[in-house]
Amino acid sequence: MKNSSLGQAWLVLLLSLAFGAALAGVQVGWGPIIEQNKRNKTYDQIPRLVHDVEAVDLTGKPAKLSGVKEATEEVPYDDGKSVAFKVFWQGKDPAGKVHLGWVIKGKGNGYADVIEVLIGLDRKAERITGLTVLFNNETPGLGNKITTEKFQDQFRGLDAAKPVGYEKSAPAPGSNRIQAISGATISSESVCNIVNQAVAGFRAQLPALNQKDH
Amino acid sequence: MAKDGPTPLERFLRGIIPENPVFRQVLGTCPTLAITGTVRQAITMSAAVMFVLICANLITSLIRNLLKPHLRILVFTLTIAAFVTIADKFLAAFVPDMSEKLGPYIPLIIVNCIIICRCEVCASKQGLAASAADAVGQGLGNTLALVAMATVRELLGSGSWFDIPLFWKEGTAGEQFRWSIMNQPPGAFLTFGLLLGAVVWIDQLHQKRAAAAKR
Amino acid sequence: MEYLSQIVLIAIGAALINNFVLHYFVGICPFIGVSRRVDMAFGMGAAVTFVISIAAMLSWVLTYYVLQPGAPLAKWIAGLFLPAETAAQVDLSVLTYIVYIFVIASSVQFVEMYLRKFLPALYKSFGVFLPLITTNCAILFACLYVMKMVVGVEPAEQWGLVPSLTLAFFAGIGFTLAIVIMAGIREELDHCDVPAPLRGPGITLIVSGILALAFLAFTGMDRKLEKMFQGDPPAATAAQAPQATTAASPAWKAPAPATQGESPDTTTQRQ
Repeated sequence: MKNSSLGQAWLVLLLSLAFGAALAGVQVGWGPIIEQNKRNKTYDQIPRLVHDVEAVDLTGKPAKLSGVKEATEEVPYDDGKSVAFKVFWQGKDPAGKVHLGWVIKGKGNGYADVIEVLIGLDRKAERITGLTVLFNNETPGLGNKITTEKFQDQFRGLDAAKPVGYEKSAPAPGSNRIQAISGATISSESVCNIVNQAVAGFRAQLPALNQKDH
Repeated sequence: MAKDGPTPLERFLRGIIPENPVFRQVLGTCPTLAITGTVRQAITMSAAVMFVLICANLITSLIRNLLKPHLRILVFTLTIAAFVTIADKFLAAFVPDMSEKLGPYIPLIIVNCIIICRCEVCASKQGLAASAADAVGQGLGNTLALVAMATVRELLGSGSWFDIPLFWKEGTAGEQFRWSIMNQPPGAFLTFGLLLGAVVWIDQLHQKRAAAAKR
Repeated sequence: MEYLSQIVLIAIGAALINNFVLHYFVGICPFIGVSRRVDMAFGMGAAVTFVISIAAMLSWVLTYYVLQPGAPLAKWIAGLFLPAETAAQVDLSVLTYIVYIFVIASSVQFVEMYLRKFLPALYKSFGVFLPLITTNCAILFACLYVMKMVVGVEPAEQWGLVPSLTLAFFAGIGFTLAIVIMAGIREELDHCDVPAPLRGPGITLIVSGILALAFLAFTGMDRKLEKMFQGDPPAATAAQAPQATTAASPAWKAPAPATQGESPDTTTQRQ
């Protein structure tokens, strides 16, 4: 027994079993939390992106977007290659779900690495209601300023039917352009490209999506 | 103590400065360079390393008399990999933003030479108390080194410490003093090289003084 | 064509732009330890390239068929014991790290045995480097990178075997490049008067810092290449004629007819 392979390896096998059990416990216990975290990363941004919230509350107070995270539906489009978030507002009346708009994902190459953004669109996908950068690895201090509100807020209200452009100085109002971050034109341009591509792709699919609904 | 070896207290104290894993033994260089952009990242990383180090040392110490010598490394690796997985899942579940920033560098703790080196040098020879003390000491030494690196890099690169802005605020005119390079790979190499040089320099000064005192 | 350009971009990205040593900081230990002489550095680089390709290939196969959530092989095996619906949800990804480290360790062992038996000359030239590679983080990092591109991405973007192998092989090439350059510099450094405290690892790290600075210049190259491959001009161009799109706003200023009863007011004006 001493020299057989089992005699040599029993400790390894025992340890493997113990660790296997421990890892299974970890997976069962923490797996759902990890999944929830991943979901939240996107869903936490959604209320910020569909931005006509203030107007909702007729009393003049800014309305809290209650129930948006719960009421939002994930809608596949483009043959299931992409997913759009159809954003609803639960409101005070539980029966009346109000369609606020859409949030779509965009992804493309930035200066250093992939940039991932979420784009908010109104109900008819005619204008952009918000933008947030989910992932970037751009140069700290230059390119990663695309995550600042100052940059992202520029997209709000732009026309989704036309491509978004950029300018190095402050653009004229209504020109459908944003001002690029000085020193990081490439990162800014990348964001514009990602937005244009994602929005155009979604707009092409929107009639089909609406048809499915009715 | 069944076998002769340094006492737990010695083990603990040695790990912090005299046998500092990063600056003296130049082990575990990957995380030292990769995740020292901010102090918060460095602390999270060192906590993960410390956790794995303590657990691996304890397990190794417990089974040290049952261990076949040629299966040693296999068992060490298995133990470390299991605990790294636990640490990784813990971070992903409870500190998701840090987990995302540290990304692949958490699983890379498996091949962090500090841990396997401590299992081999200390835990497979000494009892529980000495192994635990050793793990905490080496872990603290590692933390010290990572925080030192991160302090330099965060102060110069982001003007803050532990995410508290000290020199300038993001988006203000003071930002022109930013050493953007400190947040990027070259800054890591330069900081580490210079800090390593500084440690050796201080050491050499001490030795010279000790030699002069003897004479 | 698109596939080919993807492969080329991955290759250049792994070897130059995101060099494993100088950008991701993996494989620093051999980079500092074995970069004294050019021939040794080259041996190390070759050994790493060899093992990294094998390990990445194996880990892709394992990840794709066994470890990823809903992997075919895992599903099939689980189907023998469990009802079909439960079996479809089998997720072994918690085991990935353990599996990877054993894949690496065993592939190093096999490569060593194979070389010793069939290519003794090559085995001799690799010498002590082979066993050292097991604890080289570059290999594990390559496996993890492959995992990132297989697990949890949309099927259209999931990497196949060829991109994974390309990444690993060219990461090895990039490692060789970095370590050989470093060895060349260090051979010259022997004749220099380096301040005493910096001798050894200190000056190596500082020189790597300067090398990393040089490699930073490759950043953004992949974008230009991608554009070249695609051939079409990007949609967003810098403003040449500032008045080109004047009538941009009405589309969103006009009150949108409500589609669903009491929709929120979308006419608020901004900016």
